[in-house]
Parts: sequence; structure tokens; C-alpha cells
Amino acid sequence: MRRVSKTSPRSSIYNSNVYGLETKDVWMCLTCGLCPQECPQQVDFLSFVRQEREGKNYEEIAHKGVFSEMADLMSKLNGSGIAAAEKSEDSKYAYFPGCVDFMGLFLHDVGVDFGEIGASSLKLLNHAGINPKILPLKCCGHDVLWQGKKEVFDRLARYNTRIINNSGIETLILSCAECYRTFAKDYDLKPKVVHISEYLKGMGMNLNSTVTYHDPCRLGRHMGIYDAPREALIKNGVKLREMPHNRENALCCGVSSFLNCNEQTKAMRVLRLDEASATGAGTMVTTCTKCLAHFNCLKNEKEAAKKYDLEIVDLTVYLARQLEAK
Amino acid sequence: MTFEPNILSFCCNWCSYAGADLAGVSRFQYPPNIRIIRVMCSGRIEPAFILEALKNGADGVLVTGCHIGDCHYIEGNKNAEIRINNTKKALEKLGLDKRLRLEWVSASEGARFAEVVRDFTEEIKKLGQNPVKEVKINE
Repeated sequence: MRRVSKTSPRSSIYNSNVYGLETKDVWMCLTCGLCPQECPQQVDFLSFVRQEREGKNYEEIAHKGVFSEMADLMSKLNGSGIAAAEKSEDSKYAYFPGCVDFMGLFLHDVGVDFGEIGASSLKLLNHAGINPKILPLKCCGHDVLWQGKKEVFDRLARYNTRIINNSGIETLILSCAECYRTFAKDYDLKPKVVHISEYLKGMGMNLNSTVTYHDPCRLGRHMGIYDAPREALIKNGVKLREMPHNRENALCCGVSSFLNCNEQTKAMRVLRLDEASATGAGTMVTTCTKCLAHFNCLKNEKEAAKKYDLEIVDLTVYLARQLEAK
Repeated sequence: MTFEPNILSFCCNWCSYAGADLAGVSRFQYPPNIRIIRVMCSGRIEPAFILEALKNGADGVLVTGCHIGDCHYIEGNKNAEIRINNTKKALEKLGLDKRLRLEWVSASEGARFAEVVRDFTEEIKKLGQNPVKEVKINE
């Protein structure tokens, strides 16, 4: 974020705690986790930001906060969650696609078929010999938690925890990096929480293509998973070309939890896509729906300053498409 | 006591609001359950507005705009149609989709406005109260 704006973690801590100023600094933070990683004093800046945001109401949420309203509405209803239980097989595994359907409906002009992520994930899991249950969960609450709406998150978390712990599963598989982070770190769950990329190594495909991989902040810096998605690609014969900033130093897409969709973060997306196209790989693979949405949004802009000849796809979608083509 | 729903209605400035006005001037009777918010165009209505209304306990949301092709801003209502229909699909997953309706009412259709409101109010009365209100916050 400091590449493109004047904000800094030190100044936001000073302004809000020492001087008691009401500034936007705390809201400018992308919570990408780069500063705590570099901090020599190991200040836990993410927790500071989250606590500081708690209980405050920030108006400038992207898309007028439609996803947080959705989560809020969902949390107030008694009914079941978003992923309807079509298959209620008796399985040790459960899979939850996250809010991909809502992303598809409210971001209809981005030009991505978000529903394909859920379908592809199931296809790949079935191919790997896993028949997961689909639990009727509500939104994981990632966005509302980072937007400071703790009471909404608590309602969602109470519901989801009850459903998951009572379902008798041993492993919860998630395809979205944000859901994965939330279920793994912010929930108190009995089953193991695993990201789908762990299961995609032995697909037995021999693809002959070149891609580059974008590390989402939630999967990479927050959860420390860098190798699983890369291996999922390499073991299936894909050649990987790394961008200059990769792994721990990956650049952020800038819009985690739908805060800060503005010109500064757009500059960051431009930087990232420049790097991606400079690698010469025609495809950029990622594992986070937010990264996917926002890079595609920039790419498909109507009056774009720059045209990118780059395909940006989700890991599961990429592999499932190749599986089908074979 | 019979159930009287609270219905929120968004009317566009150029057609439906004038239509509602005409219904009033011509003294067409319609149920007093709706609260009208005037917006400049039906394309102005964000899905977030509808979700917020339902979240805060509105029993129904009625969105009205100019007929397709008559929009004052040329194609604002086409935009609205896509957005509202997508919102409806999203609400379907929560079982609230019948509480949202999109109608086209032109400035000369006062009688039609009254008719739409009567019909929608009847439907909401059959559906009953917004389930959001029944849930206790600390379940």
C-alpha cells in the first residue's frame, strides 16, 4: 500500500492510539499481512487493525456494501445457509464453496463465471476419490469481521460452528482463500480445515502449458500456504513462471473484504498485472475469489488505458477445464 | 389485530413517481401500507438498498420504473432490470424472493400504480411477517 499512498502502519497506530485522531488510516490498511511479516519488533498489526475497526461504521465499502448487507441479512434469518444440501452422502469430508453464487449475481459485469469454481472443485474432488457432503452453511463472515461488524460475525459463527461440529465430519474442504483463513483461524472447529489445493496434487494429468501463480494474501501470508497450489500445478505438468514478487513478497490485489476499491489500489492491480504479463505466461492462476474478481474487473474495463492479453482463472477452474478437455 | 405489512417502494422520478402522483390526484384507492422513496432512476437502486430494507424489517420491497425504452436516461431501467433480477435470485437462496418485485409504471398509469400496490400488498399479507423480525437476536 505504501507504494501508492502515504499511509503507513506506524502513523496509523500513532494517529489512533497516541493522538486519538479520527482518521481513515485504519481503514486504508489492506490487511494483506506484509508489514507484520517485515516488522523487526514483530508488532501484530493485523490484530490492531481489526480491534481498532471493531464497532465503527465505515461507509465507503465497495459495491455499497452489498455483500456485508447480505451477510447481515443472512445472519438474522433462522433458515438454512446458502449452499443447499443437494447431496447428503455419508462422508467424512465436507465441502463449502463460499459465496460464489452471490459474487456471480452481484458482480455480473466482471465477466467471470464464479459458480464454475464450486462445480469445478466438486469435479476435481470426485476425480481424486473424495465425495464430500455439502453443508448448509451461511457466509463465513470474513468480510464483516474485517469491516468491524463483530456482532454480525458472531451470529454467523455461532450458526456455522453448530452446523459443522454436529455434522460428524472430519475434514472441511474450502476452495476460497478467505473462507479458509476464517474457518481455520477465527472459528473454533472440531474438524480439520483444509484448502482444496492440498488434494489436487495427484490428478495424474500431463498438461503442457505455462502459467504464473498469484499468491492471495489470505492463503499465503495469513496461512503460510505457498507450496500446495504450486505443487498442484507442477505435479500436473504445468510449467510455472514466477513473477518478481512472489510467495511472501507477493503484491496484493488490494480489495480484501471489499474495502478500498479506489484509485490507489487500482494502481496496485496495474502493477501486478504488468508483472504477470511480463512473465510471458498467458494465464494467471490464483485461489481467491476477490483476487479473481478484481483482476478481471481491471482487465475487462470498458475504457482501459492498457489492454492485458492475460487470462485470470481460479486454480480449480483451470484444472477442471483441462481435465474435461482431456 | 390483522397484519399490516410495511412495504418500501422505490419510484423513479420521471415515470412511476408521477404515476403515483396521478393515482393520488385521480383518487384511486390503494392500501396505505407503502412508503415511497423517490429516486431519480430505477437504475439508481443498488441491491444493497433492498437488502438493507429487508434486514431492517421491511415486509416487502417494490421497485418501479419507466417502461423499457421510455427511460429518461435512455437505458437506466435495463440496468435496473438486470440488477433487480439478480438480487431476486440471490434472495431466492434465503427464501425471501417473493418479497421483492419489479414493476414498470409510466406517468400516465395512475390506475395501474394503484393496481400494482393493491396486488403486492395482498401478496405480502399472504406471506406474513418478514422472518427477520421473528428471530431473537441472541438465539
